[in-house]
Amino acid sequence: MRMRMRRLTPLLPWLCATFFLAMAPMASSQTLSVQPLNLVGTISQADWEAYRSRLVEDNGRVVDTANGNISHSEGQGYGLLLALAAADRSTFEKIWNFTFTELLIRDDGLAAWKWDPAAKPRVTDRNNATDGDLLIAYALAKAGAAWQEPRYTTAAQKLAKAIGKTTFARNGQSLTLLPGAHGFGASDRPDGPVVNLSYWVFEAFPVMAALAPEYEWNRVWRDGVMLLQQTVAGRVRLPADWISLHNGLQPQPADGFPPEFGYNSLRIPLYLLRAGMTDLEWLRALRQRWSAENEGVAVVNVVTGQVRERLTDQGYAILPAALACALDGTPVPEALKTFEPTLYYPSTLYLLAKSLLGEKYPQCVSSAVP
Amino acid sequence: MRLVGSAITIAVAILGFAAIAQQTGTGTDQPPAGSPPPPTPPANGSQPQVDESALRYFASQGDTRRVNAEIARLRALYPNWTPPSDLSQLSGAAGGAAPDPLIERLWNLYREDRIAEVRATITERQTADPSWKPPEELVTALDMVEARRRLTNASDTGQWRTVLQVATESPGLLTCTNVDVMWRVAEAFARTDQPNRTRDVYTYLLQNCANPGERLATLQKALTLLPEPQVTALLQFERKTGETPDDFTSIRDELARRRVERASLDSKLTASAEDLAVVERMIQNTNEAGPVLILGWYNYHHGNPARALELFKTALDRDGGTKAAEGYAMALRALERLADAEAFAYEWRERAPENMKIYLDVATALLSQDPPPRLEPQVLARIVPVVTAQRFSDAAQALGWYSYNTEQIRTARDWFRTALGWKADDEASAYGLALTTQRLNDRAGFNAVVAQWRGRSQRIAELADGTNPAARRQPVAAPAVVAQVPAAQPAESTPPPVQPRPASSRVTVERVETEQTFTRTEANVRRRQSQARSTLGRSCAITRNPAGLTGDSALTRGWCLMEINRPMEAVAAFDQAIATGSGRTREEAAYGKSLAYLRKNMTSEAAVAAAEAPQTRERRVELGASILTQRALAAYRDGRYVETLLALTERARIVPEQNDLLLIRGWSYLKLGRYDDAAKVFRAVQQTGYSEEAAAGLNAIAEVTGQMRY
Repeated sequence: MRMRMRRLTPLLPWLCATFFLAMAPMASSQTLSVQPLNLVGTISQADWEAYRSRLVEDNGRVVDTANGNISHSEGQGYGLLLALAAADRSTFEKIWNFTFTELLIRDDGLAAWKWDPAAKPRVTDRNNATDGDLLIAYALAKAGAAWQEPRYTTAAQKLAKAIGKTTFARNGQSLTLLPGAHGFGASDRPDGPVVNLSYWVFEAFPVMAALAPEYEWNRVWRDGVMLLQQTVAGRVRLPADWISLHNGLQPQPADGFPPEFGYNSLRIPLYLLRAGMTDLEWLRALRQRWSAENEGVAVVNVVTGQVRERLTDQGYAILPAALACALDGTPVPEALKTFEPTLYYPSTLYLLAKSLLGEKYPQCVSSAVP
Repeated sequence: MRLVGSAITIAVAILGFAAIAQQTGTGTDQPPAGSPPPPTPPANGSQPQVDESALRYFASQGDTRRVNAEIARLRALYPNWTPPSDLSQLSGAAGGAAPDPLIERLWNLYREDRIAEVRATITERQTADPSWKPPEELVTALDMVEARRRLTNASDTGQWRTVLQVATESPGLLTCTNVDVMWRVAEAFARTDQPNRTRDVYTYLLQNCANPGERLATLQKALTLLPEPQVTALLQFERKTGETPDDFTSIRDELARRRVERASLDSKLTASAEDLAVVERMIQNTNEAGPVLILGWYNYHHGNPARALELFKTALDRDGGTKAAEGYAMALRALERLADAEAFAYEWRERAPENMKIYLDVATALLSQDPPPRLEPQVLARIVPVVTAQRFSDAAQALGWYSYNTEQIRTARDWFRTALGWKADDEASAYGLALTTQRLNDRAGFNAVVAQWRGRSQRIAELADGTNPAARRQPVAAPAVVAQVPAAQPAESTPPPVQPRPASSRVTVERVETEQTFTRTEANVRRRQSQARSTLGRSCAITRNPAGLTGDSALTRGWCLMEINRPMEAVAAFDQAIATGSGRTREEAAYGKSLAYLRKNMTSEAAVAAAEAPQTRERRVELGASILTQRALAAYRDGRYVETLLALTERARIVPEQNDLLLIRGWSYLKLGRYDDAAKVFRAVQQTGYSEEAAAGLNAIAEVTGQMRY
């Protein structure tokens, strides 16, 4: 293990449920485990204010400014997580209020994923998005513990149980995480089940396991890591955003989606770093690919290796910087230390990375933090 | 956190309050304490319960300006509301306590519906001062608003279990100020198959809530969600006296309209005179086509096509559209005004699939008339391209017979061939093709048909064996060419233009028609059979080739063979009678032949036989219906559901479909996975009796679709 966690804060007993995976079948001596984050107070007031004032409405709606100003469960989850990291209880409460009254209305207890201010009814797709559910539940659980607010913890637990009940699907030997309650399962489409590796918010799994121990969170987490290993074993070494598990032994890019490592999958390394799973060999390969001398952060065809689009926004550029910091202790370049908020998604990624760096790698960002 | 109850517990709870509401009766207010969940009935008969929490707060603070603003706001929301009289006392009670500006801000935000901000501000204050608590009534008010939002959003998105869950957790929502919430809860019960709970919510509402507009709207909702007997039962709560009496006439009228509508599609159901009068009144009082159409179909299916025609005409004038046009064409056809029907239906054929269908049917009927009618060249000229474009084999076959019977044998051959190309198993067209190729000495063509059909069609085999001389009917005199059909034929190998039948041939056939005919009743058939038996005695049972017999002897022999139950031999005898007999003999023989086939359950052969000789309309209907019934049942027994439906649909075109066949139709849809259609049929049957069988079907659908959901 490269990193030793020293800054352990007082944890509720359930946070100690660590996830541990010995990668024996992978012919390596890696061991992986999730290391809990503290989160609270890891984003500066200035950074948060810049984000909040542009992207969060007074009614607690997090606005996806690149997608017709719609909102979604993912955005609400990120908003909650970042408000917690900024220690902004007031905004957290607003975002939760909107999430609770507008999205948490499904019969199965999951959140409807899509909300459009221009439509009536506002929920324009009642399906859920499992990453959104995980993010909301995770943020609620962390906030409930940090602020000792039982309303949040209770809501987190309900949602955790709903996720376990509805989105876990057996596929051959493995237990997988369906991206939504409808439309992705083995019986829903010819190439089903179809999954999205970036929906595994790795850091959330031990927290969920403590809230809903009757579901096999550890197994889903582990099988997600294994699937990642499998999909990055090919020539291009990148997973597609949407993966068909129809042939259990041979994951394939799913039908109807471009076979790309795209905006979704960009988050996978960030989630791995946030979960403290830095020993995963693939992260080293990705650091190489993402380095300035190579192609950098890009949307890449996972079959041909061809780059379709290079992503230069600060929110994407900070990902390789965080990777280099976590793996080699390389300081984050000055240009990335000051937050320049743009659109919803890259701004969110930026603050998620910044929050991580602030908590676990302060030496990489030391000079710029006010 | 309260344990979330299942839908059943919720149902019980709602049932609880509804039952209590019933016990206390109209006008009484408070249900006994402790009943779950305690609804809050209106304070009195006419005044809704208004959220006065903000008002009372401002009054207690002595803030006159805000009190007045709030009174104005509430008045705008609830026109019948009057401010509480004890406000001034509240103001006095505030005493010297200084108003808390934060609480004032919270109430202001609440009034402006900025709920998230209220919550956030409370959280902020509590973070700074953990011992601080928001006013109780504000917390309650916030919980209510949030619950109502979630309930409304869930209902807008069809998340009915969430609706019921929120209602259970916040029973305070279920009051006469929140009638919209009660409607949504009622709908959630209906959407989760608990119609009795839906009725209970409506009953509660009608017994307790006073707003006449909302009361009427409640019944309108009931009309969309509840079975009609339950809606009818709710009418008892109509308030006929008092300040604001109800007027549920529109609901009663709608129920009457529906009864007539149901009867309009089922000739077995009769609508009452009162119900018919309601629909008549609707026709007078509105410019809608809807009630006109209903009455049109009612008359159509109840033996009054002339009145139906008038009504469909009115419906057309009222922009009744394709349905009105379909009805108009069908009424013309029922009145045997086939030429008019064809001309009218032609204009509408492109408007909707059912209009195209009725056009093709009418054109087919027009061509199939016996004797062949005299048709204007332009009529034929417009029928042909439509038939070709639609590849409608029945009409192609009809064009074949029309050509054949007007001595255009070559054209007839080509049409029969075309019909077979569109429908390979069409025996009648194959027979037509065999006849025409034989007449044309087209050996290759003839042999090809025979080779293909010998095993499947007795009469084609007989044609080949020479036992059944070709002359199906004495051909009429060669037609003089009246007009050339325009050459605007569609691409593919369409037969040459059909010539209209010349007028001169008319007399011949009409003479045939006037001969005395055999009246077909069961008794007559039985008499005829036993007469034949006694005439022929033992010789009837001796197998012999009927070829060589005269028409009448062959006919007698046919009946005799029927009497001793040897229907296949009877068929041969009848065939001989058809080939050699007079018009009357041929007709009777064709009838005998179809009965013979029916006895052998050879329904498609029976249909062919029925087509072999002129039939009067009633006979065609009677025979056709029984043939199609047999065919549908046989197909259903063999699991050929598409054919079952085809036969039933064809049958329904000539006679109304009775309930037992409707059930067969429902099950066929079900087997074919057409669950919506199946459900429609079963529901229709359910409403006319046969409820158990229909319910079995509906259950089967629920079972299948339930399984398929995930």
